[in-house]
Amino acid sequence: MNQIEIEHLNKNYGSLQALHDISLDIPVGAFVALVGPSGCGKSTLLRTIAGLETITSGTIRVAGEVVNDKAPRERDLAMVFQSYALYPHMTVEQNMSYSLRLRRRPKAEIDERVGEAARILGLEKLLKRRPKQLSGGQRQRVAMGRAIVRKPKVFLFDEPLSNLDAALRVQMRSEIRKLHKNLGATSVYVTHDQIEAMTMADLIVVLHDGRIEQIGRPLDLYRRPANRFVAGFIGSPAMNFVPAEVTADGRTIAIGTGTLLKIPRAQEPGRKVLAGLRPEHLRLDGSGERLTATVDIIEGTGSMTFIEARIGSDLLNVAYAGTYETEAGAPLTLGIASDDIYLFDPETGRAL
Amino acid sequence: MKRYLLLAFALLFAAIYLFPVYWMYATALKTSGSIFKYPPELWPSEPLVQVSRVFAEHDIGRYLWNSLLVASGITAITMLLGTGAAYALANARGAKANVALFLVIVLQVLPPSLMVTPLFVAFNHVGLLDYPRTAVVLATAAKTLAFYIVLCRATFTQVPRELKDAALVDGNSHLGAFFLIILPLARNGILITSVLVFLQSFGEYVYSRSFIATRELQTATVNLATYLSANSADWVGLMNYAGIYVAPILIVFILLQRQIVTGLTSGALK
Repeated sequence: MNQIEIEHLNKNYGSLQALHDISLDIPVGAFVALVGPSGCGKSTLLRTIAGLETITSGTIRVAGEVVNDKAPRERDLAMVFQSYALYPHMTVEQNMSYSLRLRRRPKAEIDERVGEAARILGLEKLLKRRPKQLSGGQRQRVAMGRAIVRKPKVFLFDEPLSNLDAALRVQMRSEIRKLHKNLGATSVYVTHDQIEAMTMADLIVVLHDGRIEQIGRPLDLYRRPANRFVAGFIGSPAMNFVPAEVTADGRTIAIGTGTLLKIPRAQEPGRKVLAGLRPEHLRLDGSGERLTATVDIIEGTGSMTFIEARIGSDLLNVAYAGTYETEAGAPLTLGIASDDIYLFDPETGRAL
Repeated sequence: MKRYLLLAFALLFAAIYLFPVYWMYATALKTSGSIFKYPPELWPSEPLVQVSRVFAEHDIGRYLWNSLLVASGITAITMLLGTGAAYALANARGAKANVALFLVIVLQVLPPSLMVTPLFVAFNHVGLLDYPRTAVVLATAAKTLAFYIVLCRATFTQVPRELKDAALVDGNSHLGAFFLIILPLARNGILITSVLVFLQSFGEYVYSRSFIATRELQTATVNLATYLSANSADWVGLMNYAGIYVAPILIVFILLQRQIVTGLTSGALK
């Protein structure tokens, strides 16, 4: 069963179209990440689900019910904002209980729910404080608490971790994930950070220029990107793209200096393609399909070694798990499994 | 060194600027005879407190009451209409909003002495001059509104947009979010601006002078001026009257001066 169903959604701001024909089903209990570069429309999509933006055409259903014309408060969704949006004139307790007080729940129930949320999030000692007196991480927790006391159908997260420092972000990532599992509500999570999306989500929706590029489970996106954009966006460091041409037998491609690489599926001979090679798939032992390159730059972090190598006029980033010592200008023999070579149409960007 | 020099300059200019106020209070304590003494006394040798005599003699209570009524009316109307307008203008974006804001500011630019004649004719036509104090309230509010809207708009723009979104998602209607979340957060700016509007309307002269014909309904500003004529002037009475009239304004301003200064600059800076 689907918690949220979006069909042919369009959103215009005057002559500018922010969302193009978005169709998306979000199953009950799923953790869905909307990911894409800034300005791709992911926050706009989230805000249309919340009811904070009107839609130009299409339908949005929450729990089977069309909510197009419903006010945000009638949709039973809770939202966590990037800036946390805590009410500065209320204490932590008042912030968390605000939605329940608006719904005129009995005092005992409010106290119980706020108490429970505070316990889950470790906020018991801070209930009487005001947002101004809290650290960034604590504010973030209060924002979460404000959402969970409502026990809503759906949680909406709008880049909730982007104002935290790196260590806290990693910690909150797993906490949100745990919370999602314990509460069992559907979550829609907007982020520009593909690592965040990959580690947290059951389902990732990649958006670009207001269009959905691909929907899939994290590893499916990594293994089978539908197009060049998704291939380049998912995975870190980003995939290398090298222009190539399919040879006469259709089973190999020729890149830059004439190096031949066997490809997983036969292609139309003579066709121009873009070969995608992930940095972590390029091996330094030269096994599999072989490429000869020269080292341009080498950066070692101990656990990882990053090499920028040159083949003719093409640059390749290589990520090697472990230490490897060489120097700029040295020759380098790289290998890659034939199955790890991706091909894209240079014009449309579609995966071949 | 430079700091002390600047401070000295500041004090000097403040002294020059405030001297009339001092002279007003000093004169109020003199007798009619000692006013014209030469050389003038900076402080009367035999101060004489005549406030209560003047207060009763000139029936000041009545006129202060009129001033208070008018000023309260102006402030009430300004707050009632201006707060919503300021919020709307703080939220609206684009060319239309800019035009609206420009028109509002134009209201502020037009001087009352210019507006008084057309307003007099218009009010006369609709019969508003039978309620002269109401006429003054409406005419003055049109001017204070502009000032109020511009300052309150700055206050509202300080309230983050996401707070309203959060309130809507939490279960408020638009109106509820405005009253329960936005308004409390903009409260300081609104109150300070309202106090300024009140003080400004308490000293209103041009419209009161023109619209209010009945002596009993006059405001203190206008009534005060009637004691000043070419042939005779009760200077001591006049200065006492002025002193009484200015006292509440000074007290309010001194009490709130810190908030007024921060309230006015918080919109501009930061």
